[in-house]
Amino acid sequence: MTERLGQLLPAGIGRRDLLKAAAAGGAVLGLPDAALAQRGGGRIVFANGSAFDTMDPHATFDVGRVAYRLNLYDGLMRWLDNPPQLEPWLAESFTVSEDGKQYVFKLRAGIKFHDGTDMTSEDVVYSMERILAVKKGAYPLFALLIEPGSTKTRDRLTVEFNLKQASAIFAATTHDIYVVNSALLKRNERNDDWGQEWIARNDAGSGSYILRRFDPARGFLAQRFDGHFKGPAALSEIDFRYVAEVNSRVLGLVRGDFQGTDPYMPQDQITRLQGDANMNVMEAESTRLFYATMHNQRPPFTDVNFRKAVSYCFDYDGWINNILGRSVVRNTQVIPNPMWGAPKDVAGYTFDIDKAKWHLQRVQVPLREITVAGMIGYEQSMQAAALLQNGLSRAGIQSKLLNEPWPVVSNKMRDPEQMYDMLFLWRSTYYADPHNWAGELLATERHRGGNASYYSNPEVDRLLAEALAVSAQARRAPLYEQVARIAAEDAAALFIHNTKWYGPFRKNVEGVRFCSIGDGQEMRWVRVT
Amino acid sequence: MKTFVLVVNRLAWFVPTLLGLLAIVFFISHVIPADPAAFVAGENATPETVAAIRARLGLDQPLYVQFWRYILSILDGDMGRSIYTGRPVVEDLLSRLPATLELTLVTVLVSIAVGVPLGVVAALRRNSWLDHGLRVVTIAGLAIASFWFAILLQLLFSMRLGWTPLGGRVEGWGPEQITGFYLIDALILQDHEILLDALQHMILPVVTLAVPATATIVRFTRAGMLNALQSNYVLYETAMGYPRRLVIWKYVLRNALIGTVTQIGLIFGILLAGAVVVEAVFDWPGLGTFAVNSILSSDYNAVMGFTVIVGTMFIVVNLVVDILHGMIDPREVR
Repeated sequence: MTERLGQLLPAGIGRRDLLKAAAAGGAVLGLPDAALAQRGGGRIVFANGSAFDTMDPHATFDVGRVAYRLNLYDGLMRWLDNPPQLEPWLAESFTVSEDGKQYVFKLRAGIKFHDGTDMTSEDVVYSMERILAVKKGAYPLFALLIEPGSTKTRDRLTVEFNLKQASAIFAATTHDIYVVNSALLKRNERNDDWGQEWIARNDAGSGSYILRRFDPARGFLAQRFDGHFKGPAALSEIDFRYVAEVNSRVLGLVRGDFQGTDPYMPQDQITRLQGDANMNVMEAESTRLFYATMHNQRPPFTDVNFRKAVSYCFDYDGWINNILGRSVVRNTQVIPNPMWGAPKDVAGYTFDIDKAKWHLQRVQVPLREITVAGMIGYEQSMQAAALLQNGLSRAGIQSKLLNEPWPVVSNKMRDPEQMYDMLFLWRSTYYADPHNWAGELLATERHRGGNASYYSNPEVDRLLAEALAVSAQARRAPLYEQVARIAAEDAAALFIHNTKWYGPFRKNVEGVRFCSIGDGQEMRWVRVT
Repeated sequence: MKTFVLVVNRLAWFVPTLLGLLAIVFFISHVIPADPAAFVAGENATPETVAAIRARLGLDQPLYVQFWRYILSILDGDMGRSIYTGRPVVEDLLSRLPATLELTLVTVLVSIAVGVPLGVVAALRRNSWLDHGLRVVTIAGLAIASFWFAILLQLLFSMRLGWTPLGGRVEGWGPEQITGFYLIDALILQDHEILLDALQHMILPVVTLAVPATATIVRFTRAGMLNALQSNYVLYETAMGYPRRLVIWKYVLRNALIGTVTQIGLIFGILLAGAVVVEAVFDWPGLGTFAVNSILSSDYNAVMGFTVIVGTMFIVVNLVVDILHGMIDPREVR
């Protein structure tokens, strides 16, 4: 038994830690299989299209690898369900100062890490400082807002965040402050690396599951943590495997090798799975905007008539109804339809070559051939670029297509000189607030950042700043609605569709709670019958 | 002694060959206008963040400085850290190398075991129905797209008949890692269940890779055999009454294998570096997928590390091929 324990334990968690955990909540790791079976719950094997390169919760920020962050770690707050609701998680409550610059979070009492030690406000402070120090993952969310060393503990369970300026979105981003076991991490630091090397392969969390095995080439295996502050999760074991090929994920799901897979697959595969009696393909309107940037600082895009002409050249209906088989929903402006702050009265542009020509005749700057870019490996991005080229051609606008991989694209997005005239891409949900789209994609201060259209409008900047300075949603919503209307009228970018989420699972999988931020990959409520 | 000289000579060429390879890959990979710092920083990062990451990774230095630093660290046994995963590249590579090597070795062994006898038979029955049949099969084997063939095999044997696993190296998480080669680890642990499971998981990826490899070996063995069969010494030995089986399998085949052995060396290198598609389809956690991800994320250190590993193995395999040539035909080492 001792030997078996040794094999099962992840590196870094010793037998002493295990005993503490057992005392804390009856760690599953130490239980024989029969006992596990008595507690029930089963296991799920989930095929993931993105590789789990690391287990460090502060090193990644993308949705593709969200599973380990959500299942092994907890944040101060948690986004749950659809539309996303911000729920107290490790924090039971928080208060905001009058000036909106200080946030004080009160932690729940009795929260245990996987090794059995108590979580305190010191761990929250350490986690915040670590995010700022390692400069990875969610760092950009906090970099402009929090000075290193400014986060303080008030007492064992109270922590204060002192912001450089008022920010109504701060609470919305605390989901991404995943709290790590500071004592365990400090014991494993090497050369002031904040334990990066160690935690990349090990577990220092308090989440619903304890890391049992990790192989970057394969994925991770985790076992239920019975000492979780929300009570034990339903499943006893979760196995997230990296399966690169879409076809292999689909075949494995059909065969029953996997019980779930991520939704990033062509529509024909989704349709195929929907037709299988053993599948349950869940469906929900998500908040992932598909759009195309237009370089507002480079002629002829400096002329609003040219931007409008281009906007009338995209066959929105053909794209949504024929190419994507109605699997997405038209989104006429910058904020995804289900999100508050999204105006309902923006008609948007239609595929109308006559109108495009009408606007083209009123362009005051010389016309030239424009470059329309797509991203290699993202089929829809390349398809949309080709579809637009067809419309542009009919309106008399010369264009050339260019498809490049994401590392090249992300580099060019940050340089107005190198940035393409147009680029088709998505804006995912990093926090469920209209600022995630309107602020990041339109604010002048986000040039060389999220605003790859290099759009700039003083009125939009003023409205966005005002929306960040107040906290009441009722006051913020009209401001974002106004921003969205102005951006649509300005044709700041080509807003196309809002993505639907398809969660392919076997029929015996129940309890999946989809949230656009977690992509339905938080497993604590999932059961396999 | 002559073999020893040959080995020393080849080893002396090892360093400049590898250095040249590294220089080519380094400068080509850095010419691409990608910015790994921007990739690491993510979509929301500010220009300051990207610049800070670029400086931390040393990417703000001139190219020749970056290359010189890299060479020094290689000499120190350090391939650097993966820009993307943050782990030492050696660690990432070594954790995946056994999977690829195991698949490659088994494929090469299967290809030799099947390809050489078939090549001999095709030569001995030249222009027979068997020879024509083998020609059709081998040309098809060379022409077939491995991606399509792999999926076809999966659909037939895994999905319809249920005879073989769909993908992966074993069911579940595999044996306790000793060497990383599951077949060897299972033998060491005397775990016959895992041994059998690992063999079952190998069937489809090995068949996919072995079909074109076998086809090549068949073609080269047949051509070598036909060439050798027309030699005077075969006529002489036959006239002297040597048993035909002895003439064919001992004297003719030995001479016919020189071209085949060269091809086997090349096949080994191609499989090692090029099994990307098969690894992806069969969810085989080897070097191929890692290399592709590294290239897509402009992870220079990882790409360079992959090149060093594969380049080194390719050079070693070529050395073995040269030694085998010497053993088959001692005139080769003169």
